[in-house]
Amino acid sequence: MIPLPAGVVRQAKAAWIGKCEVTWNEYDLYAAGIGKTGAVANPKADAVSKPSHPYGAPDRGWGKDGMPAISITYQAARRYCEWLSHKTGRVYRLPTEAEWEAACRANDSEPGDIDAVAWHAGNAGGRTHPVGQKQANAWGIHDMLGNVWEWCLTKDAKGAVRGGSYRDAASAIGFRARAVYSPDWQSTDPQIPKSKWWLSDAPFVGFRVVHVE
Amino acid sequence: MEGQDRKEQDSAPSLSRRDFVATSAASAAAAALFATGNYAYAQGSDRIRVGVIGCGGRGTGAAMNAMLSARGVEIVALGDLFKDRLDGCLNHLRDTVKNADLLKQAPDLASRLKVTPERCFTGFDNYQKVLAAGVDMVILATPPGFRPIHLKAAVEAGKHVFMEKPVAVDGPGIRSVLASAELAAQKKLGIVAGTQRRHQNNYRETIKRLHGGAIGKILGGQVFWNQGGLWKHDRRPGESDMEYQIRNWLYYTWLSGDHIVEQHVHNLDVANWVLQAHPVQCVGMGGRQTRTGPEYGHIFDHFAVDYEYPNGVRVLSMCRQQDGTDSNVSERFVGSNGDTNAAGYIGGANAWNFSGPNPDPYTQEHSDLIASIRAGNPLNEGRQVAESTLTAIMGRMSAYTGKVVRWEQALNSQESLVPTTFQFGPLPTPPVAMPGKTELR
Repeated sequence: MIPLPAGVVRQAKAAWIGKCEVTWNEYDLYAAGIGKTGAVANPKADAVSKPSHPYGAPDRGWGKDGMPAISITYQAARRYCEWLSHKTGRVYRLPTEAEWEAACRANDSEPGDIDAVAWHAGNAGGRTHPVGQKQANAWGIHDMLGNVWEWCLTKDAKGAVRGGSYRDAASAIGFRARAVYSPDWQSTDPQIPKSKWWLSDAPFVGFRVVHVE
Repeated sequence: MEGQDRKEQDSAPSLSRRDFVATSAASAAAAALFATGNYAYAQGSDRIRVGVIGCGGRGTGAAMNAMLSARGVEIVALGDLFKDRLDGCLNHLRDTVKNADLLKQAPDLASRLKVTPERCFTGFDNYQKVLAAGVDMVILATPPGFRPIHLKAAVEAGKHVFMEKPVAVDGPGIRSVLASAELAAQKKLGIVAGTQRRHQNNYRETIKRLHGGAIGKILGGQVFWNQGGLWKHDRRPGESDMEYQIRNWLYYTWLSGDHIVEQHVHNLDVANWVLQAHPVQCVGMGGRQTRTGPEYGHIFDHFAVDYEYPNGVRVLSMCRQQDGTDSNVSERFVGSNGDTNAAGYIGGANAWNFSGPNPDPYTQEHSDLIASIRAGNPLNEGRQVAESTLTAIMGRMSAYTGKVVRWEQALNSQESLVPTTFQFGPLPTPPVAMPGKTELR
């Protein structure tokens, strides 16, 4: 986690943002109970609802080790934060859009060569890449631009994703890049109701967390 | 699988209903059509009234796909063994037809849902009542073990069919489906199956090129469906074996055929499609390592099968449902002149990548069926999906027994897994198959 300067997160003594996007290694601890957390059992954490078992491969067969967790709904990302908070006894949540944007802009420092900092349509080969491979921004945060769109909290119940992904042109990613859920993101989910947990057609959506004190 | 605009398809844009009646009435095809009783569209209505048999998540999804696939397609009757599943389906349909995004595609969507309480049926005989409820077509989306029975009844009753894959779990079931498909052809009834890759543009365009020789002579391939585990339901107090098994149908071969049949059939269907043949024989292995508890019935959690096609072409198949393992859902073929993933990529001398519209195949399969029915020349995918299902079944038979299994052995197998009578009561779980001990029958 990377400490955020005072004032970025309002009404917090201190705050940190994920240095990287949440990986499958981290997400599967919650979603599939795979791996060891090292944390003591917590009934409240166990009580957080868990994702359904996906029919198919939400990672698109691109692999899991070190790769950003993808195809994740807004609800699933928020439940992960809830689970992580219970598990650790600390407060984790998604960033607000303002927080995300501040962390992305890093005091309006020079973003540098786009190829050096971001996976985008021009260099990603049509897929996600392990987190943290590209140069960090001035605050030490990786992959704010590109690789996967990242969920942020919004005042409505829908959330928004920011930053752009591996499938967007370099010119289309940036701190202003923003999208909201579209039915296209689940167009080939063959069930009704469609999954509350998995986006069958949005392997370009992931998230990172903030931690506040 | 990328999301695309899902626009409503007009099944016969160049042909008004009046034109259709005028032109087809003069044709022999139309005479045959009318002779079998499929004259609903010539009687001043081009509505297609659909009944859903099997109201789980997929049946409900297929009902929405059908309503969105073309104008005039109405859901009028529902059938499910269980009232809670039927009620859930109806509630979800009522909510979903009010969805603002879908209403942009089909402003009259809500009026296409015409289910009434009198046309909702539960119990083991629900399918007979749905078939008698004034429908033109049925969606068969129960667990696969029931499919041959339901298909036979639907075709005998003169109904068009959309049926989910797989379409049987054993040799006797496959023979029944083949007979029903033949009868449907004689009666000019449509059958489309839920092997949706057949209606997915990236697959269609690629395989058309493969059949045109884009990678030369196809020498072999690999097909995969490796993923984590799937859902299960806890046993409820007082629940009979029959009810528990049907609610947890994935884990019993008489209901699902095992996961090689239930899930991997998609990839094996692609192999048969690419090679324009079914296997001659196979040798498979598999087992049950991670799902060993009784809540997982008696099926395996992994298979690997070597399929031999005509002219010595070999396809390696792998499927796995084990949590925490790496995923791979794909196909690959190698030819004398290149390679392909069958889904939009061709490498080698005739390198090519798919681009272009790729509409949601789950809706497209219904659009294609409805259009073919309205054109008087209904699609019949019965044999094709029966062969793909039998390809999976023979792989399971080989893995369960440890024996080489020839196509004819699987097709003519006398092993009937499905109970002869259905009632809520005791139903023992078969033992887990043991290669070398389990007999090939």
